[in-house]
Amino acid sequence: MCGANSGDGLGNEEVFMKLFEHQAKDLFKENGILIPKGELVENEADCGCAIDKVGLPCVIKSQVLQGGRGKAGLIQIAATREDALLKAHDLMGNRKVRKLLFEEVLNKEKEIYLAVTIDPVDCSALIMASSEGGIDIEEIAIKTPDKIVKEKVKTFRGLLPFQARNVMFGLGLKGEAFKQGVSILLKMFELFKKLDAELVEINPLILTGDGRLVAADGKLSIDDNAAFRQKRYPITRDHFESDIEYEAAVKGIPYLQFDGKIGLMCAGAGLTNTVYDLINYYGGSVASYLEFGGPNYRRAAEAMDFTLRNKPSVVLIVTFGTIARADVMAQGIADAIEQLKPDVPIITAIRGTGEEEAGKILRKIGLEPLSDTEDAVKKAVALSIGGVG
Amino acid sequence: MSIFIDSETRVLVQGITGSEGSFWTKHMLGLGTPVVGGVTPGKEGQKVEGVAVFNNVRKAVTETKANASVLFVPPAFAKDAVFEALDAGIGKVVVTAEGVPVHDAMEIRSAALSEKAMVIGGNTSGVITPRTAMMGIFPYWIERVYRQGRVGVMTRSGSLTNEVTAMIIKAGFGVSTLVGVGGDSVPCTRFAELLPLFENDDGTDAVLMIGELGGTMEEEVAEAVGMGVFTKPLVAFVAGRTAPKDKKMGHAGAIATTGKGSVAGKIKALEKVGALVADRPSAVGMLMRKAMAR
Repeated sequence: MCGANSGDGLGNEEVFMKLFEHQAKDLFKENGILIPKGELVENEADCGCAIDKVGLPCVIKSQVLQGGRGKAGLIQIAATREDALLKAHDLMGNRKVRKLLFEEVLNKEKEIYLAVTIDPVDCSALIMASSEGGIDIEEIAIKTPDKIVKEKVKTFRGLLPFQARNVMFGLGLKGEAFKQGVSILLKMFELFKKLDAELVEINPLILTGDGRLVAADGKLSIDDNAAFRQKRYPITRDHFESDIEYEAAVKGIPYLQFDGKIGLMCAGAGLTNTVYDLINYYGGSVASYLEFGGPNYRRAAEAMDFTLRNKPSVVLIVTFGTIARADVMAQGIADAIEQLKPDVPIITAIRGTGEEEAGKILRKIGLEPLSDTEDAVKKAVALSIGGVG
Repeated sequence: MSIFIDSETRVLVQGITGSEGSFWTKHMLGLGTPVVGGVTPGKEGQKVEGVAVFNNVRKAVTETKANASVLFVPPAFAKDAVFEALDAGIGKVVVTAEGVPVHDAMEIRSAALSEKAMVIGGNTSGVITPRTAMMGIFPYWIERVYRQGRVGVMTRSGSLTNEVTAMIIKAGFGVSTLVGVGGDSVPCTRFAELLPLFENDDGTDAVLMIGELGGTMEEEVAEAVGMGVFTKPLVAFVAGRTAPKDKKMGHAGAIATTGKGSVAGKIKALEKVGALVADRPSAVGMLMRKAMAR
């Protein structure tokens, strides 16, 4: 069975199409965009070799997907070999970090922000650029909004050279740097189209002392829905913060882990967000969320197993399905309970197609089929904080 | 009366011979929808639930005078199917498929905007006018959700739609037309584009909007109301007030992005133009009564 998000049925493996920096940079390089000299390291033992290759001083960049790596201390600069090895050791000690990218330190004259993204309202691609790069675009938007250069690209026309020139004029680039900038932006747009990307971002694009424009960082998000016609990037443990999240993802079950008390099995993003809000509203907390809708509604045992692994004090199941039949879910849950024998209370509000039959099945195994989401949430919260349900 | 589907609507089902297509064709007919034809390449001459199947949309339109189409095709083929419908002169299309590539959705929406067609979806249940007709996949037999009435509903979600709509039914209201714009990051029709239709519909007294975190569709609605595009009572529920930042719960349309699309920002914009925003689904019925009484 394919995953909830892939939907294409062409590949069995689950994919994660938001690329790591080193993957984005590989694609930049293949497509003629300059990147710094760099070396990717998976084992700490290879750090010395990487330092030899890129030279000193060097920058050591944790390959994680979270933003704000610099502020979080996940990017370090080292002047000496000893310093670099020590810093690499510390970074590898972080449980989120599994790979490091060693790079040469560039002599920077100017840091530029350059991105191609989607404007869903106009349905155009949107070029965003700023001569004040190196910080998040959100921060740029607050600090120097007047310096953001925008160019809309019509879907059926694509990015034309005059538009790329306008962006580079807007950034104040001149001479050789201007020409390189135009060429880089056109290549970024080509990648955006060719790869079904949602975002192609270079921040910063560094203008070096010797007049080269180099992509010092890279973000590339490819649309998961286009995985069927793109190179597929299989999920790896690096993509997830916890083992359970990773193992669930391998099986195509969206699962998020938190540190609260209610294990939530819910169908659909809207309903999930609502139940999550209601749990907070009534003073409860969430241990985990698992997507029980879509193709997963027939996989109650696996779903229940993942949900129980983060040791919730109560399991709350809320659905209101059309295609996902309530009776199938209820029977699945009944079977899962028999098999897994959970020692925590289970609260159910399973509604929609087949709900009457579902109610009968649940009553038979001693569960009360609730019809109101808020009642169910209130009960679960009360149980989770030790009250009477 | 209704929006999108009216007495002139003649519905075509693209992908009618598939399991989803034939199953929902039966139910669309069951509700009273004028399904006049179906299309599956290579299956011309067959019938599904008594509905004639054609090889292509052009011929189906010529033979049946269909003017609307609902698609039950896999996401990878949605673009092809929508363009086939648009090329044959069909002006209203519903794309149910979940997983349409976003670049395809951009092309579809761009084409629809320039050709003045309306494409709803993807990743949607579609459009339903209770007791009359539907284009899509609705469990209309669930009476505590799909009761006929005078409140227009527009929603980004599937499961949440049932949950929240049930609350206005409980409060004694019913639904004129319910439109699911879909849960994708690039829906081919946006909330604000439905407002003029509800405004001009004699059968709609008020609108319930079921929104979510992420994107800017709710803000656009507030803007349109502010400009006087929509003057009837508006009640909203927006899910995701407490959603964890940057953690993706479910579909793509609901990703919280820093600075933009926050639920707090949406609520502020909506309340500023006089919309009533419910803090829980159960508050929606009471707010609808209040909005109607004003």
